[in-house]
Amino acid sequence: MSSAYLAAVGEDDSRGGWRPTVDARMVRLESAVEAVLEPHRARLAGADRVTIAPDVHYPFHPSTGVVTDPAVVGAVAAWLDRELGTDLVVVGRSDDRIAFDRTASYLGYDRLAERFDAALVDLADVPTRNEYRAVDGRSVALSVPKPLVESPVIVVPSLRPTEEGTAAGAVRTLGRLVTSGADSSRASVAATQMIDPDLAVLDGTVAYGDDPVATNLLLSGSAPAVDAVATSLLGRDVDADVALSPLLSDGERPVAVENPDGVDLSGVRERLTGGRLPPSDDTHPAVSSAYRLYAAASGDAVPPQLEGR
Amino acid sequence: MLSQFRGRLTDPKPLSIGVLGVGNIGMVHLKSALAMPGVEVLAAADAVPENRDRAERAGVDRTYDDYAALLAAEDLDAAVVALPPFLHAEAVERAAEYGIDVFVEKPLARSTEEADRMLEIAERAGIAVGVDHTLRYQPDMVGVKSAYEDGGVGHVPYASIIRLNDGPLGRPPADTAPPSWPLDPNAVGGGSLLELGVHCFDVLEWLFGELEVRDATMGRTLEIPVEDAATVLLRAPETGTTITLHCGSYQWEELPEVNTRLRLEGITGTITNRDHLPKNFYADAARAALENVASRVGGEPTVFGPTFYLRAHYDALADFCEAIRANEEPPVSGLDGRRSLALAETAYDLAAETVAEDVEVPEVRP
Repeated sequence: MSSAYLAAVGEDDSRGGWRPTVDARMVRLESAVEAVLEPHRARLAGADRVTIAPDVHYPFHPSTGVVTDPAVVGAVAAWLDRELGTDLVVVGRSDDRIAFDRTASYLGYDRLAERFDAALVDLADVPTRNEYRAVDGRSVALSVPKPLVESPVIVVPSLRPTEEGTAAGAVRTLGRLVTSGADSSRASVAATQMIDPDLAVLDGTVAYGDDPVATNLLLSGSAPAVDAVATSLLGRDVDADVALSPLLSDGERPVAVENPDGVDLSGVRERLTGGRLPPSDDTHPAVSSAYRLYAAASGDAVPPQLEGR
Repeated sequence: MLSQFRGRLTDPKPLSIGVLGVGNIGMVHLKSALAMPGVEVLAAADAVPENRDRAERAGVDRTYDDYAALLAAEDLDAAVVALPPFLHAEAVERAAEYGIDVFVEKPLARSTEEADRMLEIAERAGIAVGVDHTLRYQPDMVGVKSAYEDGGVGHVPYASIIRLNDGPLGRPPADTAPPSWPLDPNAVGGGSLLELGVHCFDVLEWLFGELEVRDATMGRTLEIPVEDAATVLLRAPETGTTITLHCGSYQWEELPEVNTRLRLEGITGTITNRDHLPKNFYADAARAALENVASRVGGEPTVFGPTFYLRAHYDALADFCEAIRANEEPPVSGLDGRRSLALAETAYDLAAETVAEDVEVPEVRP
């Protein structure tokens, strides 16, 4: 059986709502971060450098829960700096939509990095290590950026669904940082096996169901354990998640959640279950077809938005 | 609603048009022009090959990767300038060299200084400049103006306008690469206020006459180089109306829902644009589609019939073309575009003053 540690955020606050300054949010997070990191102190102690991998896939506003709140990363960095004095690296990866430095800058990571003398590293631009891992009896070839295998890694996912409907989670956050010819789920499993992150800290300060929800929680543990809890909170089936079930052996189930603050997990689950990201901007093919048919019959123009690129 | 002039197009020679820039809004203009009676689209230009391909698929015969080459090669009456704002002045200058009238996407320029140079060159060359300020062409705004002018709520001491969308960064799922120039102050001249606020200024002056900016504040919800939220306090001396304007590019938008709200608070009640929008977008779109199909027998279709916000772009361009044909000043002129820019600049200045000023804490005396 594996364990995860849960902490409530900002219990003393009498007023809800988003605080726009990172500093104010970090103050609010301090005790919860302490509570979820302290049980793992021994794993991280003695490291010269720790690599933090948040969900920075795109510069969406952190109050939506669709990316990791930089304040959570800041509060984790502050604890590591204060308690262990380690060097810090915050990583992300450029993709064909947007460069990591642009995303990091828009989300405010530049200031955080300066404050903690941390390095911001685009994993698309660093040397990699090529290896193979077996997933479901088949070999998966991976190129893993060296910073992910040369120092302890803390992955900090958001609590949200992916476009495909699974929990975004720590495993998929790591999967986005590697390159592989395999499908994204198998690549994520192989990446998690190879990187073997020391810790996952789930940013559940704001979750995304069908809308943002201030769930005000942090959760720490192994990547599969944290993802199992996140999957459950989003009302998904762990066994149906092909990127997660291979990483959770029978001996690691169920995941025991230490919940000293008495966070109402069933209430959170009730609010998030079945939630999905908004539909794509692309018009439904049936609407596009109907419009084209109408345009042909009437002589009207078809809006460019209905024609695709 | 189509241009009131459309039915009077009798000149046998079509107005020859070139479209400079066929990205998102440029494609709307291209499709509008292709569907417009009395207009012939000769060519389109865009630096992006995929955009040129789309233009060709839409039915334009010739495309260029350089708009200047298009202007030099084609025999145009008018050009639609739908390039990024940092190219507007240069494109108008080039068009002026060939005596080509221009319909410029908003904002007209990145600053009033740039707009002044542009308009001076246009005047010297004798070309007309129109600007694509489309809110005043939307049926909901037309409905508000009509209700206001009918005197239905009496004096209007207060009005508010809000225009929000999700800007270049969009909303989840993130499936396209966001362009960088809309967030570059050197390329655009500003943020939401120049992207959305100028439309609001234009429609407010259309309703209430000349405006004065009294105060303003700018905000950023992300660490981006331009404001993605702007709030402006205005006064319309002619009608004695105080107005608040808020625009921003921070709110997720899910079309066909568009967050544009105009409210006029009068003595006897409220006029709101929501009362002049279809209650159900899809039902209204279906009705417009059926009307268009029926009109096939005896008349021209209403272009972009089911989508009122695209229809507004069509009508704006149609009115510009009609003015060019009649040798008249475009209904939304370069001076109108400059006027909106001037209001935006005053708002920026006032917002900067507010930030720069040290706020003195008053002494509290017992």
